[in-house]
Amino acid sequence: MSTASETKKTGQQDVLLSPSLLAQLERMELVSRKIFRGRMKGERRSKRKGQSVEFADFRNYVPGDDLRFIDWNMYARLDKLFLKLFMEEEDLHFYALIDGSASMSFGDPSKFQYAKQLAAALGYIGLCRADRVKVEMLNDAKVNTAPVLRGRKNLWRMLDYLNGLECGSNVTLTDSIKSFCLRNTGKGILVLITDLMDKTGYEAALKYLISQNLDVYVIQVLSQPEIDPDVTGDLKLVDCEDADIAEISVSQRLLDRYRQTLALYIEQAREFCMRRDISFMMTSTERPVERLVSRYLRQRGLVR
Amino acid sequence: MNWFASALPWYGWAILACVPPLILMLYFLKLRRTPVEVPSTYLWTKTIEDLHVNSIWQRLRNSLLLLLQLLLAFLLLLACLQPGCEGENLVGDRFIFLLDQSASMSATDMANGKSRLENAKTEIRNMIDSMEANASAMIISFSNESDVVQSYTKNKSQLKQKLAAVRQTQQSSDMTEALTAASGLANPGRTSDRTSAIDIQVADALKAKLFIFSDGGVSKVPDFSFGNLEAEYRPVGALEIPHNVGVTAFSISQDVDTESGVQAFVRLQNSDDQDHSVGVTMLADGEVFDAKGSVAVPQENSTVMSFDLTPLLADFSDPIQVEVRIDNEDVYMQDNVAYGVIEPPRKINALVITESNNFLRLAMGTERIKKLVNVTFEPPQHLQSKEYTEAASLGAYDLMIFDRCAPEKMPESNTLFIGAVPPDESWSLGEKQFPTTIIDTLSTHPMLNAVSMATVTIVEGGALSGPQGTISLMDSTYGSVMAIAPRAGFQDVVVGFSLIEFDDDANTVINTDWPNKLSFPLFIQNSLTWLGGASKFSSTSGTRPGELVRLRTRVPAESITVKDPSGRTTSLKPRKDKTFVYAAADQAGSYSVTNSTTQELDQLHAVNLLDTRESNLAVRDELNVGYEEVPKSVESVPARREYWTWVILAALLVLVIEWYIYNQRVLI
Repeated sequence: MSTASETKKTGQQDVLLSPSLLAQLERMELVSRKIFRGRMKGERRSKRKGQSVEFADFRNYVPGDDLRFIDWNMYARLDKLFLKLFMEEEDLHFYALIDGSASMSFGDPSKFQYAKQLAAALGYIGLCRADRVKVEMLNDAKVNTAPVLRGRKNLWRMLDYLNGLECGSNVTLTDSIKSFCLRNTGKGILVLITDLMDKTGYEAALKYLISQNLDVYVIQVLSQPEIDPDVTGDLKLVDCEDADIAEISVSQRLLDRYRQTLALYIEQAREFCMRRDISFMMTSTERPVERLVSRYLRQRGLVR
Repeated sequence: MNWFASALPWYGWAILACVPPLILMLYFLKLRRTPVEVPSTYLWTKTIEDLHVNSIWQRLRNSLLLLLQLLLAFLLLLACLQPGCEGENLVGDRFIFLLDQSASMSATDMANGKSRLENAKTEIRNMIDSMEANASAMIISFSNESDVVQSYTKNKSQLKQKLAAVRQTQQSSDMTEALTAASGLANPGRTSDRTSAIDIQVADALKAKLFIFSDGGVSKVPDFSFGNLEAEYRPVGALEIPHNVGVTAFSISQDVDTESGVQAFVRLQNSDDQDHSVGVTMLADGEVFDAKGSVAVPQENSTVMSFDLTPLLADFSDPIQVEVRIDNEDVYMQDNVAYGVIEPPRKINALVITESNNFLRLAMGTERIKKLVNVTFEPPQHLQSKEYTEAASLGAYDLMIFDRCAPEKMPESNTLFIGAVPPDESWSLGEKQFPTTIIDTLSTHPMLNAVSMATVTIVEGGALSGPQGTISLMDSTYGSVMAIAPRAGFQDVVVGFSLIEFDDDANTVINTDWPNKLSFPLFIQNSLTWLGGASKFSSTSGTRPGELVRLRTRVPAESITVKDPSGRTTSLKPRKDKTFVYAAADQAGSYSVTNSTTQELDQLHAVNLLDTRESNLAVRDELNVGYEEVPKSVESVPARREYWTWVILAALLVLVIEWYIYNQRVLI
């Protein structure tokens, strides 16, 4: 059993994260535009003064202060009690949310696969920096199913979890985000990987995330056939999620119109996000994850 | 008028009416759209909505194929119904189109600015088109001669091709020949050659319809019966009489009063019902010589005007071409110009063979004649001499007068025989009769111009008979006593009585008192000027277009070159009688004759139509042939002109467009 699972693991690892990518990711770090208080001591500075080795400041002793932080050398010299303050280093909450709706199964590679790769890459960066990483597929579960991971050694658990995911859940984006917000209250970075193709709209869902005071990144993943449809003739288009039917007779004019609509849709989403301090970017599944992470996300300031 | 040939029962129409709705239904049911699963129809729905909302045309475009299909079905159904309308179809098996190509048909008085001939050709072409498939037709064009352009054929394209090749001529019109040709082919037992003695049947005795396309300005056909021909006259030309002033006569002659001057007489004819005033220009050798503005020509009448050409006579050695031109343009330009030629004076040579006839010597001794003629008198013995034989065969003399003698062989010149006949067998002089009373003279002949025989007494004379073509100039109680006959380019005048006789004692006996009368010197002068060709100047009246021109050079030539008005040259060789025959003078104008060896201009020759009938452009209401009036009514039976081929073509076109649009949609 162990052999089989080993092989499977290795294979899956190869599929999701290649060794070269791993090496690249190890040198990276997740950056939050806001600094959040962590639960455990982590590897990043906090606004809070703490117990790190890095000196921050002095202040006068007031009764009730921890005697351990009194600078006795100072006392000996000045005969006054001063407290020595140190910088606190703490961990960061990192959430990667993958849209698991049926529409994500399209494309080659599928948008879902692409989302998993992206989530794994970002998650691995967090693991390497001892952040608190949680990669989760959106659903309407009332309890947390995804593991909270910390440390590089948990890469395998994360990949295992990702590999076990199957898309096809029939939950609206709003419902699943709402459910997520109820379950998780931690502050930190949240990356939502979705195609935003939800007929009920994405606005409410994003508003939930903002209200959680999270540093939100939305990465819209679209497959190439969605960006530039390669269809001809008289067609009956069937929606894979709700079996809705749209009858079209393909003409150049129609295709031009579709592209206009798509561009408008993306632009609307971008503007919506921008107004709410959400970082938005659109990517095609054709664009390799490595390039996305190392170039585009770095430009956006998610990683460095 | 019935638009559809296929008469359908009511249920047939009902079935046909069902077809378009059926296509419509099928179109909506149709379209097996290929189902394709997509991540989300969200954007597509939005796109389609946008399109639908934005443009009604989009909807139209979507159904364009449907509309085209409906149109196609409609066209095919229409084609099945054999649409058509009443056309003017020619009913009959055989048709003959007689097309007038005479000069007046060149008048451009038709509404579309085309000439009458063009219009007639268009009309004939339409008639050929509306001929039934198994009908045959022939085309004959005519001016003063006729031409079977195309004999009976069913080949319509050939008929049209030959029809298109019919040219406009500048000749007068005479239907006789054309009618004979048409009739000869339609009526068995008659040939197209009326003079032929042998009657051969050249075509089956089938009735034929004869259409005469003409403006009616044709010379009378005195004796003709249509027989099996069913004739119909189709007048060609504008209903209103077009305005036309034309030159109908042009002559150049010596001034009667002064005898030294030359005048040109021009008759202008106005054939329409309005008075006109025109400018007339006289050109000499292409340069304006004289002009008269506003010459009034009253309606349906003519005006004669004259030009004094005397200044032209001052020292000229080459022939002068004169041209009279009407400056005002009208629909018929051919009669606006006429040509003439003034030849330089030339002294002629005349030989008189006589034995002591002093009357002749006296008559030819006048100053006036001496100026014009070199007269040589010789006795009859001279006929035997070598000089005479040479001179006679070379044509050295312009005129030879034989008084009571005759040569053995006719000379190569014009001759006048007095009291003797030419050695030709066809000439004969009857027994001498007494008395001889002149009862009639042909005073219109130039030989007898101003010659009055009323008081002349003649003692003895004989009745003359000559070869074919002999014209009697003077008739007596017992027959012709003066006659003229042509002889291969020459003219022979024979007088059947002598002026003097010798009795047995060789004394002169006077046979007539004519030499004592004024008419005798006039007759001698006429003989020398007209027969001998002598005059102070000579003006040739020319020939008419299409006629044969017989040319005699002033000096004998090996060959001559004739240049026509359009600049085309023809080289001619002389015939046996030293004349040249030019057959291509079919356009009006001035023809120049050049001696090919010396390259010197020999003479000019004018060709004019000058035809009052052709200048009268009024379209004649009736056309009489023989004693019949050719019916003018247009007889045609209603026949269908079918359009289904065009409908099928349109359907094909629609199909192609549909295919194209469909491919545009599918291939993008």
